[in-house]
Amino acid sequence: MSWASATPPGTQPGYVSYAHAATAYTPVPVRQGFGQPYTLQPQYAAYANTTNPPPAPAAPPAEPQQQQQKIDWPDKVRSYVQRSFESKNMLPDVSREEMEAKLKETISHAKDAGIMYTTDWDGMPLPQMLVRTHRAALLEAQQRATTQMLAASWPSPASAAASTEPARATNHHNSKKRKSSDFSESDPSTGNPWRSNKKLLSLSDRISQPPGLDSKSLKQAEKAENRKQRFNTAEYKTYRSPSPPPPTGPILGTCTNLEKNYLRLTAPPKPSLVRPEHILHQTLDLLKKKWRKENNYNYICDQFKSLRQDLTVQRIKNEFTVSVYEIHARIALEKGDLGEYNQCQTQLRALYASGIKGNAVEFKAYRILYFIHTANRTALNDAIADLTTADKEERAIKHALEVRSALALGNYHRFFQLYLDVPNMGAYLMDMFVKRERLAALANMCKAYKPDFKLRFITEELAFESDAEAAQFIIDHNGQHLLVEREDSIVFMAGNAKQLFETARADAYRRVDLKGQI
Amino acid sequence: MASTSTPKPDEKSSTPADSKPEQAQNTKTAGALEEDDEFEDFPVEDWPAEETEAANQQGNNASGGTAADHLWEESWDDDDTSDDFSAQLREELKKVDAAKRR
Amino acid sequence: MDSLIKEFRAAYAGQLGNDLAKTLTPDVPNNAAQLMFVWESGNAQSIKDDLKFLFVRDKSARLNMSSDEAVGWQEIYYSYWKALGEVLAAEGLRKSRVKTSWTSVYEAWKELTSQIIRGYTNHEFENWTIPCLYVAGKYMRLYAMRADAERGSNGDDMVTNFQDDFDPETEKHKSLEDCARQLNRIFNLCLSDRAPLSESRKWGIYYAINLLFKTYFKLNSAALSKNVLRVLSAGRGDMPDFESFPKSQQVTFKYYEGVLAFLEENYEEAEKHLTLAWLLCHKGATRNMELILTYLIPCHLLTTHTLPSAKLLAPFPRLQALFLKLATAIKKGDLRGFHQALQEGEDEFVKRRIYLTLERGRDIALRNLLRKVFIAGGFIEGAEGGAQVRRTRIPVAEFAAAIRMSGGQDIDTDEVECLLANMIYKNLMKGYIAHERGFVVLSKNGAFPGTGV
Repeated sequence: MSWASATPPGTQPGYVSYAHAATAYTPVPVRQGFGQPYTLQPQYAAYANTTNPPPAPAAPPAEPQQQQQKIDWPDKVRSYVQRSFESKNMLPDVSREEMEAKLKETISHAKDAGIMYTTDWDGMPLPQMLVRTHRAALLEAQQRATTQMLAASWPSPASAAASTEPARATNHHNSKKRKSSDFSESDPSTGNPWRSNKKLLSLSDRISQPPGLDSKSLKQAEKAENRKQRFNTAEYKTYRSPSPPPPTGPILGTCTNLEKNYLRLTAPPKPSLVRPEHILHQTLDLLKKKWRKENNYNYICDQFKSLRQDLTVQRIKNEFTVSVYEIHARIALEKGDLGEYNQCQTQLRALYASGIKGNAVEFKAYRILYFIHTANRTALNDAIADLTTADKEERAIKHALEVRSALALGNYHRFFQLYLDVPNMGAYLMDMFVKRERLAALANMCKAYKPDFKLRFITEELAFESDAEAAQFIIDHNGQHLLVEREDSIVFMAGNAKQLFETARADAYRRVDLKGQI
Repeated sequence: MASTSTPKPDEKSSTPADSKPEQAQNTKTAGALEEDDEFEDFPVEDWPAEETEAANQQGNNASGGTAADHLWEESWDDDDTSDDFSAQLREELKKVDAAKRR
Repeated sequence: MDSLIKEFRAAYAGQLGNDLAKTLTPDVPNNAAQLMFVWESGNAQSIKDDLKFLFVRDKSARLNMSSDEAVGWQEIYYSYWKALGEVLAAEGLRKSRVKTSWTSVYEAWKELTSQIIRGYTNHEFENWTIPCLYVAGKYMRLYAMRADAERGSNGDDMVTNFQDDFDPETEKHKSLEDCARQLNRIFNLCLSDRAPLSESRKWGIYYAINLLFKTYFKLNSAALSKNVLRVLSAGRGDMPDFESFPKSQQVTFKYYEGVLAFLEENYEEAEKHLTLAWLLCHKGATRNMELILTYLIPCHLLTTHTLPSAKLLAPFPRLQALFLKLATAIKKGDLRGFHQALQEGEDEFVKRRIYLTLERGRDIALRNLLRKVFIAGGFIEGAEGGAQVRRTRIPVAEFAAAIRMSGGQDIDTDEVECLLANMIYKNLMKGYIAHERGFVVLSKNGAFPGTGV
């Protein structure tokens, strides 16, 4: 993005914010700092290339959320946008801002309602017309108009994320790490100490039981929360009855539905569509149950987003808020949805920093691993700056810091030992950069060792589960000629590898630099 | 600075009741940059070459040579006969040697 | 007010930009009395007319100024007077009336800044007056930070929010982010001036850039600073020579340019800029020199493997505390000492963002240790009765013993090999490891490049 054409920082240029609204997708940023306004570039990129085939409208595809979010607009939508801004269609009494807002609303609504591909965009009134209609309606019947107008112009949002199972529902990580190697006869690691240590907690365990909290104390916390809730409700009634809430303050919702599809807001939400905190508590319980039973990530992610939104618009920032973000973060982590994970992580950082309790240690450790993955040094430094003296004594954080330090010093030996013993769900994060670090280690070994050594040495040093897996990795990177069979073992001809792994390593890192994710 | 360390809370004090004091004591982090970390405005806008640090170094370095000559030094030191560290190292290496012969 | 306008007239007649800027400087700590006087000499009812008289109708002091320009200045001093009232109130200096907030101060000062910008776009202001832009930007940034701090401490975060999540940074830096936009206007105002250089506002560009750098650093967005550099280098051809700007601006700019390169791990580039900043810096500006060296020292460690001498650190006790222990440990090849020094300084290093860089000094410490092992290995007969040569086949066990001793903890042979492999990979040591036979073969010519052996 060239600076010259960019709007001043902090203002969101119309088109860019569209992409944001329409896709609701935030790629993992490789940004140097913080602040939402500064992350426009990748979003723009997402908007710019649009050639995904539309999925069948009736049955939403069983893709993981991450994929689905990347889907760009159909051509019809694009030409609708173009038509809107053709000079012959402009209306003198409707400003560009109003048009853009309306467009954004229209498109995100369509997207969120899952009718992006079924809507007759050619027949759709242009945003300027919609603005006019809207104004007229407002004049006619001050209050009811808005609601009805929305209801009239749109079919009721179909359940966007139908209950189809995500294709990737099988837990790749768990299965891989738990079952023994496929090459069991050549598996040297039977009985290896690391194998028994290496365990990933499954998410359903984690949801119901965050570390350090047994179910009893959880119950107590809930009770306390309920007490608070009654108080809130009472307060709400007295506050609300005589006059409408002042426009500046947070709203207080009145909606009692437990489930709600996510819709991106473009205007202050109506209280009747927002769930108050005590309902949200029930929502969370429901979502936890559903996740355990159905494991449908599209559905769960959508629901969590609307849950988060309801919290945000009511400015609810307490331990409940923290637990919502924590649970969503864990689910996203397990499903490899780094975009969503990062959003949760950013929120959690601020929430912990404001003194609200939660599993700060667990998430501070993830944060470090995450920035190792995205190779974001500045953010990594900030993550270390966030640590207290007490934090640094915590096992999970110590582990993450050791991972960082091992990589910084090129100590692959230590790194792969740490990989075999990761607290909490950190292994999901480490899995994302372990391949790259294996390449780095091989590049290193190939320069330092002559003439050869046993393949087993690689298997052990780089924490492969078997010689076969190590060999496959080398072959996958075109190193088959480096593997030679001797009397009793396979030997790796390190001295002959030249730049092979150096190049592969550089490629792997370059991909991180560009996208922040592989 | 956070290094003015406070006594560590007793282990496993993470129940809500105990966590308040811990919060107060140990939440101090390395933290954000302070006001005084910023590059300061100079009291004057411009100054002649004689008042620069470069000139200052030349002046202090009457024997000539470039300014930076005495300001940076090599990162290793060859004086490995005198200090304890090197002596100890030689002892260690002897032990390795002896173990090998055995 | 009259006295202020008198000063204005004197500065204007002499075309003294800095004097002119002084009349718009609310330096309360040093000037409280005068500022109070200026504020009290006006009153809300009559100030507009008073200023109109002073600038437009008072023929006695007719400066060589178009009436259009006069209107511009009149507006500026009106805004200044109003902003001054807010500043004094926020500082608790106004006798009567109200407490205000730094947010209102910021808003009032922003209005003044806009008026000054308008002076250039609409009222024909000349380029010698640009120090006014700097003063405006400088105080605007200050007030923005105070406004943010005040809001933060009051827990008053009523930002209307229709987002899905809170934006913690925006809430924390609402005013400063807005300030960055205003500073950008100043930047563009200077950059886009097409007048000939002698009359160009381009002479104000580093005022704007340096303020933007400081702001973006506070906002924790190095990326936006890089954008500024990109725009600058695109337009550099039309710019006055960098050397013809005042040294204060050159040094500040080079410092930030250097730190930016540093944060991107571009240490050679960083060293170039920081060295220039260091050499041009005023010899008496201890604090700024300290800041420059804070980054220059880690740069030197990585680029040339050199350490600051005692002489260099002598005038800077803070830098001695930061670096001396580390430097000693590196020199000795003392791994435990290095680890301790790094840990002791960790908070400070992290705060200065040099921790991750300094950590890499461990490689140098290790190199020095291994080098000692090599030297301790002594000499053997050269081939065919030639001169004595150093022993170049060294058992891994010897290196392992040294690392164990120096690091003060046990370490297994595989990890030792891994560390050795790293030394070779990073060109700190020349040779290869023969894994199956358990020794290292070092190069006969320069086993430790650049260290004389």
